Amino acid sequence: MGSVEFQRVTKRFENGHEALHEVSAAFAEGSFAFIEGHSGAGKSTFLRLLLGADAPTRGNILVNGVNIAGLRARRLPRYRQHIGVVFQEHHLLGHRTAFENVALPLRVAGMRERDIGRRVRPVLEKVGLLDKERFLPAQLSTGEQQRVGIARAVVTRPKLLLADEPTGNLDPALAANVMRLFLDFNSIGTTVIVASHDHALIDAMAKRVIELRQGRLIRDSDPPLRPPGAERTASTRTEAAF
Amino acid sequence: MAVAEPWPPLPRPPFATLREHRRVGGDSLVFVSEHLGATLLVWLLVGIALALPATLYLLQANLGAIADEWRGRPGFSVYFEVGADIDQAHALQRDLLALPDIDQATVVTPEQALDEFRGSVAVADALELLGENPLPASLRATLADGVPTARLNGLAERAAAADAVDEVVVEKLWLQRLAALSAVVDRLAWMLAALFGVGAALITSASVRLAIEGRLEELRVQRLVGAATAFIRRPLLYLGAIYGLGGGIIAAMLIAAALSALEGPLGTLFDSYGSKLKLDWMAPPFMAGLLGASVILGLAGALLAARTRLKSLAVA
Repeated sequence: MGSVEFQRVTKRFENGHEALHEVSAAFAEGSFAFIEGHSGAGKSTFLRLLLGADAPTRGNILVNGVNIAGLRARRLPRYRQHIGVVFQEHHLLGHRTAFENVALPLRVAGMRERDIGRRVRPVLEKVGLLDKERFLPAQLSTGEQQRVGIARAVVTRPKLLLADEPTGNLDPALAANVMRLFLDFNSIGTTVIVASHDHALIDAMAKRVIELRQGRLIRDSDPPLRPPGAERTASTRTEAAF
Repeated sequence: MAVAEPWPPLPRPPFATLREHRRVGGDSLVFVSEHLGATLLVWLLVGIALALPATLYLLQANLGAIADEWRGRPGFSVYFEVGADIDQAHALQRDLLALPDIDQATVVTPEQALDEFRGSVAVADALELLGENPLPASLRATLADGVPTARLNGLAERAAAADAVDEVVVEKLWLQRLAALSAVVDRLAWMLAALFGVGAALITSASVRLAIEGRLEELRVQRLVGAATAFIRRPLLYLGAIYGLGGGIIAAMLIAAALSALEGPLGTLFDSYGSKLKLDWMAPPFMAGLLGASVILGLAGALLAARTRLKSLAVA
């Protein structure tokens, strides 16, 4: 339900800057991958194209076999309702409580109030913020704000979860928590694509890595082969990294 | 033909849009109450912009009513010499009523005329000084239905030839002037309504635009999580409607204040034309029209602001 394929995608902005050049990559349903690269490598552009926030200059972006570059503007909101997005800067609404922030996508979907409560509270519990549902973002720590952002991204049970530098402002322990949450959602079939330049984190997670440099794909590596008991070993490595 | 989408649209529960309207309506009222100072300013600006054309409209409606009233029964007035025998007036009355062109012919005796004048405080004292009744008998004749006003002059000449007639006044010129004045006021009211209406819409648009800038981050996040343009635009339209409605109420209050100040002198003016001033600004049709127009202008302003600003709104 969440397969993604970039077919020779190029994105050139009006100022002539080419953020992506002939990038091709495929992500199977339920996969987990990192987009790695330095600042300006094209990671955010990659995610924005996938979100439909920008249109590619050339190439196709197939989601479940449908080229989203050809979607009409009025169809894009419905498409985005199936995608969860996490940003480094959280993008929380400062005058809304944690509960209200997480509930926003459900309100957009027209859900009843009582159903919203039933959906939001388990997710807040999952990210460890149930006792702070009435807090405003300013009353939460950076890590807690990030978890509210994650809760908002997953509350609709999206088929695709995109994260742009989700651990950029977090200390290693909090970053590990965030990654564990992503793994949890990935384990129930959500396709997860994370843009990051944190080598230590990426190495520790031992997942597929797509590396971009100046808009070009220079590496697409599968996760390393692991001996039996690999999950345990990977977890141990992840913990050790933080 | 349905356009293919990666995933089927999420099912919307029944009455989702209705619930959304209720929630947005409540949120908009909260927003307005939290920004009461700025809101009052917008209401005042919109109210002032709407009050002038609306007041002119009311006055025009009254002027038009006088013209219509007289236009419905054109005629002429015959003034007899002072001291003329009243039987001469009745003789002319009978003579005129015998004509098929005349619908009514009413004699006003000098005594009746004096009584009418006594009704006016301003001239009552002056009449007492004269000692005797200086007013002549008069007769007012109106044309029968369907008789062209071109016949008035001939009938007036016939009346003028009767005994003891001093003067015959054909009620035409002043009626034409009044109709022309009414047309000018009518045109002016519509021009001002269009001009000030655009002004009111632009005021609302600028205010909604400010509100958009104030909640830009929220709108971007809404777009990020899949809100359709209608969802993002809805609170802005509510805000525009509230600005318009508040402006309409302020306009009604301003009109009431202005008309209460003008009612006395205007009443005297209208009385002189034999018509009653009916500044019925509380009449449901007028109020509904005023408030409806103000809400529509508010919505138009909000729509303009939303269209221009949301078009370039990027996803967070």
